[in-house]
Amino acid sequence: MRIAYYPGCVAQESGKELDLATRWVARALGIELVEFPSFSCCGSGFVDEANEVLNVAINARNLAIAEKAGLDLLTICSTCQGMLTLANLRYPDPAVRPRVEAALRPLGIEYRGSVKVKHLLRVLIEDVGLDALRAKVRRPLAGLKVGAFYGCHLLRPTDEMGWEDGEEPHAFEDLLEVLGASPVYYRGRVMCCGFPIQFVKSDVASGIAGRQILDAKSHGAEAMATPCPLCHISLDAYQNRAEKKVGAPLGMPIFHLPQVVGLALGATPEELGLARHLVPTEPVLAKVPPAAVH
Amino acid sequence: MTEGTISATFDVYRHDPAKGDRPRYQRYTLKLSPHTPVLTALLQIRAEVDPSLALRYSCRSAICGSCAMQINSKSRLACETHIGPEIEQHGRIVVEPMRNQPVLRDLVVDQASFWKNYHRIEPFLKLDPAHPMPEGRPTSMTPEEVERFKETPRCIACASCYSACPAVEADPGFPGPMALAKLYRYVVDPRDRAHQDRLVRVQADGLWMCLRCHLCTDSCPKDVRPSERIRDLKEMAIAVQGATEHGSRHAVGFKDNLRDRGVLNESRLVRQTYGTLGMAGQLVQGLHVLRKKPEVMRKPHPIEGVDQIEKIYEALDRPSEDGA
Ligand code: SF4
Ligand code: SF4
Ligand code: FES
Repeated sequence: MRIAYYPGCVAQESGKELDLATRWVARALGIELVEFPSFSCCGSGFVDEANEVLNVAINARNLAIAEKAGLDLLTICSTCQGMLTLANLRYPDPAVRPRVEAALRPLGIEYRGSVKVKHLLRVLIEDVGLDALRAKVRRPLAGLKVGAFYGCHLLRPTDEMGWEDGEEPHAFEDLLEVLGASPVYYRGRVMCCGFPIQFVKSDVASGIAGRQILDAKSHGAEAMATPCPLCHISLDAYQNRAEKKVGAPLGMPIFHLPQVVGLALGATPEELGLARHLVPTEPVLAKVPPAAVH
Repeated sequence: MTEGTISATFDVYRHDPAKGDRPRYQRYTLKLSPHTPVLTALLQIRAEVDPSLALRYSCRSAICGSCAMQINSKSRLACETHIGPEIEQHGRIVVEPMRNQPVLRDLVVDQASFWKNYHRIEPFLKLDPAHPMPEGRPTSMTPEEVERFKETPRCIACASCYSACPAVEADPGFPGPMALAKLYRYVVDPRDRAHQDRLVRVQADGLWMCLRCHLCTDSCPKDVRPSERIRDLKEMAIAVQGATEHGSRHAVGFKDNLRDRGVLNESRLVRQTYGTLGMAGQLVQGLHVLRKKPEVMRKPHPIEGVDQIEKIYEALDRPSEDGA
């Protein structure tokens, strides 16, 4: 399949390993990622808080770029997924569309509203398909106990995101099973990672992140995996703060979604950028037998 | 089994803190129609099996808001949740008291903090003497004005959202989704003379603690959509007062941050949120992350067509005083 690749800001900068792993997985699965250096940031939910119509406009511009190329759009971030979907939903509102159109028209941009926004998790399940994926697994994850961590904006509001049950999803767990891992079900998997207030009240944010990691751990998780690089920042890059806040060592390796997929498909840790994590992933890798030679 | 009935297993949370015993789950198995509401089943248990089970309810028609509890971990009204789909999905029905409020006994929680937060937003109209209502119709509003309330008048104060909210869980100072949704209703009421004041107060009093996780909106039985109204309050608060809190400074800073490159400049954002001095407090963490992710200090390349972003901002963004 061909799809417009919307990497989002973090995967192009501090979360580069996510971009790396996405490209590896896309190559392995024959997904052609069409790139557009003109894509802007999605506003990450913060622009929406400050100015809703502006947020719709910058994302309508992004969507128009894909629409012009006749492509649907692939996201690799729960928040990008949420914001671009929101733009699609708010755009037809009679209080919104005329203002957005008036801003875009002088720039020669027109958005007709036809682009589907799909997160990688959904593409893996609906477009690639779990059976096709299963057939490509070279290095089954050996029953590794993995706690999926969804990220709010991928799921909710459920009626708007229009996919999984926002309080009780199972897509990620289904995928983990196909990769040979044992998914861990815990309440925190659909909760907030604390990221939106990392800059507002960082101690509370760290407490929220710590609570979810602790929850996964107490349900037996040896690693966690997330489809959202912002959750990854909260759970991995700031895990040291979370540990202080919950008063317990956590040592929880946090994988990006395409990293767990890539690992099972036979990618090396270098190809997935695993050395860039703050919490080392080696202890987990040691438990997974190396890929069968083909 | 009678035709049309299913065998339903309930694991019900039992706890009497006054007795000092430990919380436990008690199992009851009943044969019921799949259309039976969970509340009806619990009342049957109380009537026929165990009169000591404590629960709260009144209308049995999803109107009074008394019967909210956790049903298979979701905060829901027991009187409108049918057992069939629950059994189908989970094999049993785990019934627990709502979260974020202390248990008084079994399924009954102490709602004091929920109501205290509600009263904190002053949920009453402060009329404007300068704009008297037409004679004989002291509270009249046009249908268009009523539309402004959006879904908020539907709220039945059941506290499902309060139970589901991770910000309430993490910070008792957060007013909670229902109180903020109600506040919105007064802020947009054209008869209220205190709406600016209300926005100024809430900006400093918890508004920016909302994580916009939308768990409140998902758990609300009346589709009040508190998270969306909280978003509206945030934008309105910035509009009347500018960005006065770390949260609003961050939102406005983020917005202004994109303007010149079209993508996020991470290090500049930290400065916009905390100010140059406040950045020192972030230094230790910054260095910690920098070890593995040197990009956090780098200025990203501007996107192609970045001038379009500037034009969109010129058309749609009101100037902000706090742009840094
Ligand atoms: S907003 Fe919804 S969930 Fe919250 S108290 Fe009102 S009706 Fe209940
Ligand atoms: S969106 Fe805000 S108010 Fe609603 S549940 Fe999440 S943190 Fe609480
Ligand atoms: S008993 Fe009144 S809402 Fe359920």
